[in-house]
Amino acid sequence: MAEVKLVDVEKRYGSFLAVPKQSLTIEEGEFLVLLGPSGCGKTTTMRMIAGLEEITAGDLMIGGERVNDKPPKDRDIAMVFQNYGLYPHMTVAENIGYPLKLRGFNRQAREARVAETAEKVELGKLLKRRPSELSGGQRQRVALARAIVRTPKLFLMDEPLSNLDAKLRVTMRAELKHLHHELGVTTVYVTHDQMEAMTLASRVAVMRKGRIVQLDTPKMIYSEPANLFVASFIGSPPMNLIDGVISQGTFTAPGVNLPVSAADRGNVVLGIRPEELDLVPADGEGLFSGLLYALELTGESTLVTLREGTTVVCARGGADFDAPIGTRCALVPKAGARLHLFDKDSGERV
Amino acid sequence: MKRIFLWWGERALLLLVSCIVLFPILWMFLTAFKRPRDAYSISLHFKPTLSNFVTVFSDPWNLGEMVVNSVTVAATTVLIAVPCAALAAYSFSRFRVRGRKFLFFLILSTQFIPAVVIILPFFLMFRTLGLLDTRIALIVVNLAIVTPFVIWMLKGFIDAIPTDSEEAALIDGASRFRVIRDIVLPMAAPGVLTATIFCFILTWNEFLFALILTRRNAVTLPVGLVSFRTEQGDLWNLMSAAGVMITVPIFIMALLIQKHFTRGMTAGAVK
Amino acid sequence: MRDRPLSYLLLVPAFLIVLATTLYPLAYSFVIAFREWDLTKQNRPGTFVGLDNFTYAFTEPGFLNSLWVTTIFVVTSVVLTLFIAMSLALLLRRTGRMHTFTRIILILPFAMSPALIGVSYRFMFNPEFGVIAKGLGAIFPALQGVPWLASPDLSMAILVLTDVWHWSPYMTFMCLGGLASVPRETEEAARIDGASGFRIFFGIVLPQMKGVLMVVAVLKTIFALKMFDQVVTLTGGGPGNSTETLAYFIFNVGFKWYDMGYASALAWILTGIMMLISIWYVRMLLSERKVATA
Repeated sequence: MAEVKLVDVEKRYGSFLAVPKQSLTIEEGEFLVLLGPSGCGKTTTMRMIAGLEEITAGDLMIGGERVNDKPPKDRDIAMVFQNYGLYPHMTVAENIGYPLKLRGFNRQAREARVAETAEKVELGKLLKRRPSELSGGQRQRVALARAIVRTPKLFLMDEPLSNLDAKLRVTMRAELKHLHHELGVTTVYVTHDQMEAMTLASRVAVMRKGRIVQLDTPKMIYSEPANLFVASFIGSPPMNLIDGVISQGTFTAPGVNLPVSAADRGNVVLGIRPEELDLVPADGEGLFSGLLYALELTGESTLVTLREGTTVVCARGGADFDAPIGTRCALVPKAGARLHLFDKDSGERV
Repeated sequence: MKRIFLWWGERALLLLVSCIVLFPILWMFLTAFKRPRDAYSISLHFKPTLSNFVTVFSDPWNLGEMVVNSVTVAATTVLIAVPCAALAAYSFSRFRVRGRKFLFFLILSTQFIPAVVIILPFFLMFRTLGLLDTRIALIVVNLAIVTPFVIWMLKGFIDAIPTDSEEAALIDGASRFRVIRDIVLPMAAPGVLTATIFCFILTWNEFLFALILTRRNAVTLPVGLVSFRTEQGDLWNLMSAAGVMITVPIFIMALLIQKHFTRGMTAGAVK
Repeated sequence: MRDRPLSYLLLVPAFLIVLATTLYPLAYSFVIAFREWDLTKQNRPGTFVGLDNFTYAFTEPGFLNSLWVTTIFVVTSVVLTLFIAMSLALLLRRTGRMHTFTRIILILPFAMSPALIGVSYRFMFNPEFGVIAKGLGAIFPALQGVPWLASPDLSMAILVLTDVWHWSPYMTFMCLGGLASVPRETEEAARIDGASGFRIFFGIVLPQMKGVLMVVAVLKTIFALKMFDQVVTLTGGGPGNSTETLAYFIFNVGFKWYDMGYASALAWILTGIMMLISIWYVRMLLSERKVATA
């Protein structure tokens, strides 16, 4: 267990700047998720921590020790790869036992530890199989078992669930969370799935174009997005973002008239989550009035999309909501709904 | 109707292709078991005999010596070329080395240099060193042809192996050499085997170098064929027997690794 | 990945081999190419003669003949091989027991020693007891007693035949590889749009095969330029010098006449031709790969 510190770390490939200079501290025992779209530098950042990529500039500290020049094998970390990175020519038991073998454990000690670990991830019956004979979920467990068979200072997980089907992903997510609780090892987890990030993390670092644009708890990331990028990336369906202007305490956009407590300004984006909107009859006074564009039943609720001119707004209505397409409807913010205002040019929160 | 016609037409064409490919080989095998008298007729009615094989292995042909030469030269060449090429191919495939493109380009280009250019200076060098008509000389020149080819082929194979497992091993605590030994080699084994056999075949069939560099002691099988062209004319039955000796080991190897073989043929070129 | 020193270290053995077995001899022969050196008269390289060996080549009938012979050989064998390989690939593309069998059979010609191929074709085309010569004579009376290998044109044709027989299978596998990389969807889309098989091939498949076919053509050209083995065992360069390819001619100059200077110059002319083609080829490969990874 250890604290991980990146100090002014930078990564360049030749003249291409993959990850610009930045600092990040991952606290002891923390579950930190690096979240962002593909190509945002999250995997590169993790690979630098792992020692699979050289660090162009800056310092990387694990447990207070500078490890820039240490090869991966001397960093005492374990990693789970997106494609699992299993050893296809070894059995499950050999796969799990390989880290122990490299550390000079004798055969008996190895077998005992492997059996114990395999039980923990419910692989006990598959120890003699080869990876090619396993299902995706089982391979995932082998990769996990190989990581937890010893107690490293740090776990790294690179999109470990992305190759699983949707149902299995949810199950494995819970298992990962439980495992972290049980072992308490500092974990860095890379994903592009905001749901994974929200459910697993103690803190989330949202990354974009190599930079961390917000670093906070899942709760704060959801309720106080620091900028338009985070606002649009977190939440499903995403936050409604409406371009407009504020004058004399009212936000105006096509179909929208909403009192806000903010100074007058043009070029502003109003954000409000679909969960915080209520559908009202068309003749009622609302935040937004528009024609019904689409209805999507998700089971526990109905996603209602309204449209007026260029403005499109989505709201979460009750599962029993139904109306013909083209009907005029209106939306009002729920009591206590949070309105977010962003500067359109900089994308920053106002 | 049309579909049935097409179905049979396709099979008939395939059969024709197989026949065209097989016929010269089969004819040679048949001739190898014919008496001299039968060899000069195209009749299929003949009493098979092993006498041709007995003859080629005895004086004055001594095919046995040539077999030993061919095996020694091909095996040694392979044993030197494949490990060296495998290391280089791994490096080319996995590292972003400075000047890598240039080096790879250089090595690839040498594959296209005509053998006849290299053989002139080698002939002169070996003459000075007294190495003409030795197996060492043949091994050295064969390395020139085979090494770049194997690098190219193995790079294709290694490129196709995902790096995940190697990285996992690095993190699990293995040194780079340990990774190569424990992870890369077992995973690349089919590729290495294929390259080895390709390399063996190339060396085994090599003709130009052996023709120029050998006279009596280090003659290999393909060059040995020429010696059956005597003043009494070409001794077809003996040539065929020698031909069988040349082809059988190679055919067995090629067919054993048939699946990888066709992949190896296209490795590198179709990317 | 990391480990810079190791990455260089791994290259060292292979690079030393290439250096010693290719680059050094190349340099040596380059030096000799500008000298006079009759090996029957002297043991060391003779006087420096500048470009004489090169200029002499282009006035000498033997060289000019071999240049012409090589050109004819390369063009016919490349065109035929390409055509046959592509046709075979299309034929073998589908799956079936007969298809699998033929694919396996196709490995054999490539594994066969070219010298031996020359020998066996020489045997089969012998007018008195060759099975092909006799067989053709029996089927087509007009072909009875044709002196196959004694006629300049026919022996060239047989030389090309042996080469096509040897290389077509290999090139077929390359074309099959290329065909496999043509996405089925585009073809199926075209079929649904109502295109005929003929149009699908020329309009959809062939354009996507362009890259592979180029590679096959260039590779085959390079191999054909080196043609030597079958010339020795099939025709001996004859009748006359009608099948004397460049490689065979250089071999004669060097190892029958022992004119090392001239042979080296000729070898360098051949190298020049091949280098131009291979540089073009490697560049094409690299740029194709860039497109593929982009």
